[in-house]
Amino acid sequence: MNDQMRKKWLLAFAASGLCLSALVAALGQTAPAATGPAYAQTAATAAEPGEKVFAVNCARCHTPPMTLNPRVTGTILMHMRTRARLSRKDEKLLLQYLAP
Amino acid sequence: MLSGAFAYVQNTSGGVQSLVPQIIPVLLVPMGHSLLLESRVEFTGFFQRENLPSGPFSGRFAGKVYKTVDYAQLDWLADSHATIAAGRYILPFGLYSERLAPVWIRNLQDTPLTYSIGTHPYGAADGLMLRGVAASSASASIQYSAYMSAHCSINELQAVRAAGGDTSIFIPSKRVEAGLSYQRTLEGYQINNEAAYLSWQPQRASVDLKAEYDRNHYGDGYWIEAAHIPQQFPVAPVFFRHVQLVGRMEQLFARNGGGNGLPQVNEKRPEVGFNFQIRDDWRLESSYGRLFSHSGNSNTWNFGFTYRFVWPLWPGRKS
Repeated sequence: MNDQMRKKWLLAFAASGLCLSALVAALGQTAPAATGPAYAQTAATAAEPGEKVFAVNCARCHTPPMTLNPRVTGTILMHMRTRARLSRKDEKLLLQYLAP
Repeated sequence: MLSGAFAYVQNTSGGVQSLVPQIIPVLLVPMGHSLLLESRVEFTGFFQRENLPSGPFSGRFAGKVYKTVDYAQLDWLADSHATIAAGRYILPFGLYSERLAPVWIRNLQDTPLTYSIGTHPYGAADGLMLRGVAASSASASIQYSAYMSAHCSINELQAVRAAGGDTSIFIPSKRVEAGLSYQRTLEGYQINNEAAYLSWQPQRASVDLKAEYDRNHYGDGYWIEAAHIPQQFPVAPVFFRHVQLVGRMEQLFARNGGGNGLPQVNEKRPEVGFNFQIRDDWRLESSYGRLFSHSGNSNTWNFGFTYRFVWPLWPGRKS
């Protein structure tokens, strides 16, 4: 690929990035969260401590979880306490939130 | 409990098509409130068209299925601040390898160009690891990992002697995390691997920014990724709430001839992605990237889906 073509690709990528940034800026803050764990999104809109723990810790790496079977919630939280290096207190708050 | 994912990706790189189906079961067996046995295995098929006298990649699809044990470890949740893991575990190096690599989590299906730094050659270690949260308050939390790996040549459990650690600080009010990783391989040509990473989810915009810089004797490089869910898109908001737009820029600078899992020449790759979350457990993925390399430029296309599952195996626990 010659230099001209390369410049065109880089320009297109830069333009896409700018458009995305402009879109984000234009949209401003996120939509209010709907009720229930599956739609928890932001710490600002979190209603209870467990939801806040989820929003600031879990949502850093993945989207809100699928609807969890209460039978497995405790096991998943043991797993995530190890993976995400959570404290025992955070694990308890998440359990109260995800399996009230 | 059996969890995991089914995934399928159709990849086209430099005009060569690859079909990559994956089954990734995750087994979790709790034993009381303090012990957890966990394991993840990847069964990855890799199929490409065979070469024929009439031309390369012009025959029927052929390939094989590869099996990888990502981790098989026993966790002892010793107290609120420490967990001891024994067995085979994923190397906690940087932001990507341990947290973002699973196909159901990663935003783009191509791994970063720097992925081999700190994870080469097996991505996992056999030995002991201490990890947890050193201090946690409303204003900040500090996480840590420290590990020691032994040499192992058993099939599917291979590992090299290495030692290292990772630490990060997270500020909830700003939703910023910054971390450092270090690792030294202790066999063969002993090298240091280092990484610095940053993660930020601004409160005012539903954008997720992540960046990582890695370096070792064979090369150094960075990646910066932004992901956005247009939750307040003025048109068809219900549809756009399921859409994720992703952009990533990355660059690798080969040093001392490269190798050791890294490209031997300098490379850079801008990449954009469009994902659609059909349901909580189903996701469609697509991406396009352009690799600029001193050995030749090429396009990379990915199309695929991921299905995430969680199945209880027997009457479980809630507390």
